[in-house]
Amino acid sequence: MTEPLIRLSGVTKTLTGQEEPRTVLNGVDLTLHSGQSIAVLGRSGSGKSTLLSLIGLFDRPDQGQYLLRDTDITRISERRAAILRSREFGFVFQRFFLLKHLTAAQNVAMALVNGQGWLPRRKRRAKVMTALEQVGVAHLAKHRPSRLSGGEQQRVAIARALVRDPKILLADEPTGALDAETGNLVVEVLRSATDRGCGLVLVTHDRDHAARMGSVLHLTDGVLGAVTA
Amino acid sequence: MIRLSGKLRSALIIGMQGIRSRKLRTLLSMVSLFLGVLAVVAVQAGSQVAEQAALGNIELLEGVDGTQQMSVPQNDKAPAIVLEALQGRQHAVAITGAHAVIGEPNVTPINKGGGPIDESFSGGYYCSGYGSCGPDQDVAQGPPGKAIELSLNAMTGDVREFQPYRLQSGQWLDFGAQPSLAPRLVLNTKAAEAFERYQIPAQMHITGADNDPTPRIVGVVDDGGYAPAAYVRYDELANWLPTSGNTQLQISMAPTETALQQTLKARLTAAGVPADQIQVRTINSREHVGEQLAVMRWIFLGMAALVLLIGVAGILNVGLATVGERVEEFALRRALGTPRLLLAGIVLAETLLTGLFTSALAIGAGVLGLRAAGLVLSGRSQFSFLHDLAFPWQAGVAGVAAGLIAGLLGGFVPALRAARIPIATVMRA
Repeated sequence: MTEPLIRLSGVTKTLTGQEEPRTVLNGVDLTLHSGQSIAVLGRSGSGKSTLLSLIGLFDRPDQGQYLLRDTDITRISERRAAILRSREFGFVFQRFFLLKHLTAAQNVAMALVNGQGWLPRRKRRAKVMTALEQVGVAHLAKHRPSRLSGGEQQRVAIARALVRDPKILLADEPTGALDAETGNLVVEVLRSATDRGCGLVLVTHDRDHAARMGSVLHLTDGVLGAVTA
Repeated sequence: MIRLSGKLRSALIIGMQGIRSRKLRTLLSMVSLFLGVLAVVAVQAGSQVAEQAALGNIELLEGVDGTQQMSVPQNDKAPAIVLEALQGRQHAVAITGAHAVIGEPNVTPINKGGGPIDESFSGGYYCSGYGSCGPDQDVAQGPPGKAIELSLNAMTGDVREFQPYRLQSGQWLDFGAQPSLAPRLVLNTKAAEAFERYQIPAQMHITGADNDPTPRIVGVVDDGGYAPAAYVRYDELANWLPTSGNTQLQISMAPTETALQQTLKARLTAAGVPADQIQVRTINSREHVGEQLAVMRWIFLGMAALVLLIGVAGILNVGLATVGERVEEFALRRALGTPRLLLAGIVLAETLLTGLFTSALAIGAGVLGLRAAGLVLSGRSQFSFLHDLAFPWQAGVAGVAAGLIAGLLGGFVPALRAARIPIATVMRA
């Protein structure tokens, strides 16, 4: 087995600002290797998205340790976190979050025009087209989201996540807004990213989709465990 | 440096995308800002034009900034000393004022007293353009006739280095040629208008002269004066009006002629001219005019700033509404690695670009307005300065600055809000 990409040890997260503080993650351990895919199952409100937020550096754990290639990033600054989000991570959300005034190609290019380094227009365009080709929608590059189907929009969103060649792909219920057939297609596109050495964490409700991942974990009452049946 | 450049480029690209996607809102922001920026441009342009106009006239009447003007009181020896000291000098000119009536002899001139041709003066007292005043004993008391009374300014060299008279027609006095017995005159526009209106015989009576010469009019200049005047070579006037102790001289010198000034003072004092009566002053028209206009300009700029403030409020309002609508977009950008600072930069880039576009429009409107004013008003004599008047660059700079400041002020709070949007918004959506 290769060196782990990320390793979470004893991670705890309590949500405050509500009537009573609620512990949503309680001593979570998770390790993700390059080319590995993990599905996280769980009921609504079980903390799946919070877990993804911590992994994606949107938020910080209250306790525990978070290592990225043996570097402790548990208490990383927001400035450094933004750099890592840009270089290391790709995100796919349930809602596609495509900007309606931009074309598919421009939406994908959003991830390249983010103030983290600069690519000339020609190189930017080449990377965008490569990413769109990887998800099979290069022919829709000049279309605006309003002209795309749900599945096509989600594939554009995946291309946006892949365009910076991330090491870790985080997908938060990416098939939630899609029909079963389109959902399968999207999951296949995500899974194929692991063939290129990308680690994948897929949060989903769908057991069929989860079954297509390398490992399946279940989040119950803030505790992450392997699925037994 | 590269990183900064990348951030700047990213902000500009995303800002332009934002402007293109919300054209109507951008237009509304620009409309609310336009009047404010236009007010600043108009006030600045107006004050510059007014200053130029005032300065232009003052330079004609008083002299170019920096000119040293020495007044030499009446003294028997003073004219000879001054003429000798100035001989061969390029940047110093002595001028004396005389008084003349051109036209029918022994009649009361049309403008008795030498005042403007359309205003009747009682006469009896005369001042030349160069400050020598005295009782006008020689004005004819005869019947009304066709004659024009004017001040005659005689000079030892080309005075236009110090008072840039604008040649209207003909030519200026040629100081290189041999002096003529028929004095060559250059009229000012007021005198030229009088000669155009009345048929005047070419005979000139100079106060204090025994004989009347026949002058030759060689040109017309705009000297900024309101009364008829004429300019003549000193040596040509001297043929008819010998220099006397009553001659009062004014010497205009370049600022570099300090040695000449010292020499003149020393020699005149030695000749018996009281030192305290030799007065030297430095022309400082720009400061004088600037002081007069500054107060008014600040008052108008204050009013323009108020109008601009309304524009800022407009940008702020639209900016806050836009950020509110773009919460998900900004959260997504943060998720994709965009730093908070760049998010603020994107909002500021949009408002600054809006301010800049508005400035361009306001400056364009200012240029067109000034051109239109020039076309409509330059035919009138009091607005002649509008002819060929260029749009002052200071007004352009003020317009751009106003647009950028408005963009900065109007975009500051929305930029802060954009930077503070929590990234988890995309997860909760």
